[in-house]
Amino acid sequence: MSEKLLKKTTHTFLIFSIIILMLAAPLFYFISSWLYSYETDEILLFHKQDFIEQYQDVFTEEDIAIWNKYNRNVTILPYHELKNDSIVLEVVYDKIAKENIPYRILYAPIELKGKKYIYNERINLVEMEGMVWSISLMFLIIIAFFLVVILYVSKRSSKKIWEPFYDTIIQIRNFEIDKDKLPQFMPTEIEEFDSLNKSIERLIEKNTAIYKNQKEFVENAAHELQTPLALFQSKIDTIIQTSGLSKEQSVLLNALNNDVSRLNRLNKNLLLLSKIENDSYFEKQNYSINNYIDKNFEFFEEQAEAKNITISRHYNHQLEIETNPILIEVLINNLFLNAIRHNSKSGIIKIEIEEKTLTFSNTGAVDALSGEKLFNRFFKSDPSAKGNGLGLAIVKKITELNGWKIGYSFENDLHNFFIKF
Amino acid sequence: MKILIIEDEAAISKSIKNYFKANDVHCEEANNFKEAMAKIDMYDYDCILLDLMLPDGDGFDLLRHLKKKNKTEGVIIISAKETLDSRLEGFNLGADDYLTKPFHLSELLVRMQALIRRKNFKGNNEVVYNEIKIDILSKTVSVNDLKVDITKKQIDLLLYLIGNKNKVLSKGAIAEHLSGDMADMLDNHDFIYAHIKNLKKKLSQAGCGDYIKTIYGLGYKWENE
Repeated sequence: MSEKLLKKTTHTFLIFSIIILMLAAPLFYFISSWLYSYETDEILLFHKQDFIEQYQDVFTEEDIAIWNKYNRNVTILPYHELKNDSIVLEVVYDKIAKENIPYRILYAPIELKGKKYIYNERINLVEMEGMVWSISLMFLIIIAFFLVVILYVSKRSSKKIWEPFYDTIIQIRNFEIDKDKLPQFMPTEIEEFDSLNKSIERLIEKNTAIYKNQKEFVENAAHELQTPLALFQSKIDTIIQTSGLSKEQSVLLNALNNDVSRLNRLNKNLLLLSKIENDSYFEKQNYSINNYIDKNFEFFEEQAEAKNITISRHYNHQLEIETNPILIEVLINNLFLNAIRHNSKSGIIKIEIEEKTLTFSNTGAVDALSGEKLFNRFFKSDPSAKGNGLGLAIVKKITELNGWKIGYSFENDLHNFFIKF
Repeated sequence: MKILIIEDEAAISKSIKNYFKANDVHCEEANNFKEAMAKIDMYDYDCILLDLMLPDGDGFDLLRHLKKKNKTEGVIIISAKETLDSRLEGFNLGADDYLTKPFHLSELLVRMQALIRRKNFKGNNEVVYNEIKIDILSKTVSVNDLKVDITKKQIDLLLYLIGNKNKVLSKGAIAEHLSGDMADMLDNHDFIYAHIKNLKKKLSQAGCGDYIKTIYGLGYKWENE
């Protein structure tokens, strides 16, 4: 699983912010309610002190009864064993408000006119609850607003910062070593990206140079081979004219002749392959595939005759494409001859033309061929086969050059090679 | 018939010379640019075979020189280099044909004969061999003045065989001649057998002599009985 860098940083940031917020909110609530109770307790003690100072010498028992009668929150209770002031939190059901209300309640031993009593005062915390909630809410709103702003700003700025990086990725993705277009990275002021781009540029330059060298080598080697091959060929042509050759010698010479023409074919195909790679065939024109197959059908039938192969054509469409005529002919010839070469005795070949596809189907090997390697140079499914293993590689190169698709499938004992234009 | 072979590989020009000798073609050789220039200026030839890459000069310059001197020799370029550009430039500079190395000597011979026929064309363009007469223009063949029903491909094969009379022609060489550009992809020359058989049948039905001999293991040969 991979996700975008920007998304990832924002995500992390967001998750941490939410965790902090979630932790901060209750913490804030507890701290403020503790502070509020603390203040309330101070007030309670202060009230008590004030009461003692004002009334300790004046309050009679009657006064106490009256006081208790009219005061709900401050009452004087008969003394019981209590040494120090004690403040407790109690929840009392309020009949008027019809709800439970939390109170801070003070119990303090006092003396009025020399007699011991318990001073009892309570302050409700309803106000505190409200206040704490509203403060928390405000706090939350401010934090959330802050968060949104920070997220937005950081997203914008990091998008700008990472822009050259994404550009580099796109450039590398679009780079193809066999095309002459080198990637142009956008200028960046960030040192790391700059050094990344420079490293990539160096890597590409080096590899392109190696690739070119390799390509030139194949082409030059193939060219250089042509002269000795010509010598070879002309000498064999001369030697077979000699009179008095024995049967044995004739057979040997014929084999030699076949070998040199095989070598010749291989060499020409290698040259063709490197010429295709060098984009030597760029001129295009409108081309009818149906016409070409029909025009050369006789030739292919001749080739198929030795194996007694039946060839059938199924045209559901007139397929015309804009392409280089030399290359499309090489492609069709290769596919056609391939279907003949790898066919079985008395087999069949089906040529199908749909709106955008050309398919050659042929009988042959009983099992499907291994699809991936099929189009590699010098790959042969049957090592004893006569072909040079370049035919399908050439076909593949031509399809790549034109942006077509080639595929292989094996259905109903037929090997299908199809080109999607 | 006199031709000039301009080719720096002496072994190749020797082979061509040897092969052509028996078919009444007299060959002169030039193994470098200077020699070629000298011979072109001194003599007239029926045809020039020209290799483009010479050690001391460019074959295209020789073509330019021929043009400047208003020489009418037919030129066949024989080169290891084969690009569309070099082909086009060759034809632009007045070359008549282009054959890429390696090639069969038999192929070179028939191409040269065809070229000379075109050059020397005087009203009738015919190839005659005993009772056989081939009209190149109308693409007809007659035996003892009777027309034979024959396909274009069979005429091509017939011209190739007669052009290379008394030569052993391998199946491969015949296959390459008949299939042209397609030859580079063929790895099976068995279809030649059927072509030869059909041609033989047509000729013998027309009362023609049996000139096509099968040479064991090697191929075929056109020979007077």
